[in-house]
Amino acid sequence: MNDKGGFPKESGKFALQGVMNHKGDFLNLLKHANYPLKIDLPSETAQRGTDIEIAHSTTVVAVRYRDGVMIAGDRRATAGTSVIYDRAEKVLQIDGHSVLAISGSPAIAYEIARMLEHSFQYFRRSQLQELSLEGKLRMLSRLIRENLPMALQGIGGVIPIFSLYDLSAADDQNGGKIFFYDALGAHFENVNFATTGSGSIWIRGVLRYLSRFGDTRLQEMDERQATVTILRLLDTASEYDAATSGYNARAQIFPNIKTVTRIGVEDISDDELESCYAEAQPDAEE
Amino acid sequence: MRDEPYRWIEAIQDRRDYIEDQLRGGSPVVGLTYDEGMVLLTIGRGQRKIFEVHDRIALSAIGHPADIERLRMLVTDTASVQGFQNATEDVNLHRLTNFVLAHTFKQAFESIVGEAYIIKMLLAELGSTDDKNRFTCINYDGNVRTDLTSTVIGGTEVIETGMQNYLATTSTGTDRDLAAALQLGLEAWAVGRELSSREPDDAESEETQIDTAQMHEIINAAREDGEIEAGVLETTQRGAGKFRLLTSQEIETALP
Repeated sequence: MNDKGGFPKESGKFALQGVMNHKGDFLNLLKHANYPLKIDLPSETAQRGTDIEIAHSTTVVAVRYRDGVMIAGDRRATAGTSVIYDRAEKVLQIDGHSVLAISGSPAIAYEIARMLEHSFQYFRRSQLQELSLEGKLRMLSRLIRENLPMALQGIGGVIPIFSLYDLSAADDQNGGKIFFYDALGAHFENVNFATTGSGSIWIRGVLRYLSRFGDTRLQEMDERQATVTILRLLDTASEYDAATSGYNARAQIFPNIKTVTRIGVEDISDDELESCYAEAQPDAEE
Repeated sequence: MRDEPYRWIEAIQDRRDYIEDQLRGGSPVVGLTYDEGMVLLTIGRGQRKIFEVHDRIALSAIGHPADIERLRMLVTDTASVQGFQNATEDVNLHRLTNFVLAHTFKQAFESIVGEAYIIKMLLAELGSTDDKNRFTCINYDGNVRTDLTSTVIGGTEVIETGMQNYLATTSTGTDRDLAAALQLGLEAWAVGRELSSREPDDAESEETQIDTAQMHEIINAAREDGEIEAGVLETTQRGAGKFRLLTSQEIETALP
């Protein structure tokens, strides 16, 4: 740990333990710094689960369109039958070319997203190269797997969609990729679309239809067409799923929509969303 | 040995002489502000010398590669943990320098039974506004120097003084663009290289009379077996992370 014998004894917990080679592994670094990675539950809770109402439910959706991937999420957070927040951000930028869309327990999901972001940064800064695409996927798998005890107790399950752009793709190819995870951390590549959350069952079939039989198929849509389609999908989900919000005209609350393309991650602005919404819902005022 | 003050002082002086002798031939590093941020620049021979530490903090150093790597990891690990435990805004150069690095350097230097670090380190922090940009240089003995618009680290104090004199007399202000900053930085680097290549008898003077043409000759000669390396902390960079290494194309376009 401290082969120089020179690290100061009073320099705080971290420096006290000296430098180890963590090989770019941020979780290992946090463990070394005594950061509590897991929540210790009371034994009776661990044995029989809990009846605490945890905020969850949502609809997040990712589609592969002409320039890359578009990812969107509604803004509602619920606990049981109560709406507890209507401006939740469920589509989170992780690095310059990747985005995580979360569904499940917000507390755990946000922590996983934050840990993922810092893990990628730490790898780049310490190892002097970007983490590979496969490395990024496995890091997320590991975080989800480490959360398994919480998921099994019914209070911390997280099912994300991870979207990124593969910069090694040829210029004339679409490098957008969409990965779906299960609660155990296994990841699967969804070629053209993915959706998760309580509202996803109402739109999965529509996505399949659009991807295979649409007049303009999902993967051929330009940014505006994809945006209009996603707004309609979220509107449909909100119609049947109480835990998914639609567009709140009075408060001007739009879904979060981001694009991941060769040039990076970008937000679809509220102005643009308002314009697209008018196209998506031409008779909304009636 | 600590019971015998004279022997301890003598041992420290021997250690100082040894480290300075080891550092003498190191390729200097120049730090400059420009209209869109801060740049660190050197000419290296294979080993990378300019690094990202955190969102708004970059590092460069001269010295033994193993020591540079070890201390780079110390500061990177510390910043990463602090940034995660608190917030990235809570990571700043002042804390890293004063609470982590400076006394680590000092204690290693003065623990004469252990190894000393053969290193001089330069850190740059991009402030929230131009007047909050900071360069901090940490000497192998833990001494810290802070500069606002330009700084250098070189093998000896004489080399550093000569380079700083050149920057002070040539620099026309802080509103230079990146190309102007790169050119000025390379010229200062050439002054440092000229001073470090002198025979020991001439090495005590920081006076130098080389003109621009001679500077370019020195730079071109160094590029035959080395490569210009430059990293910037850019206010215009998208996202929280402001660091990036300049590409060889960007560097070429700035060369005379």
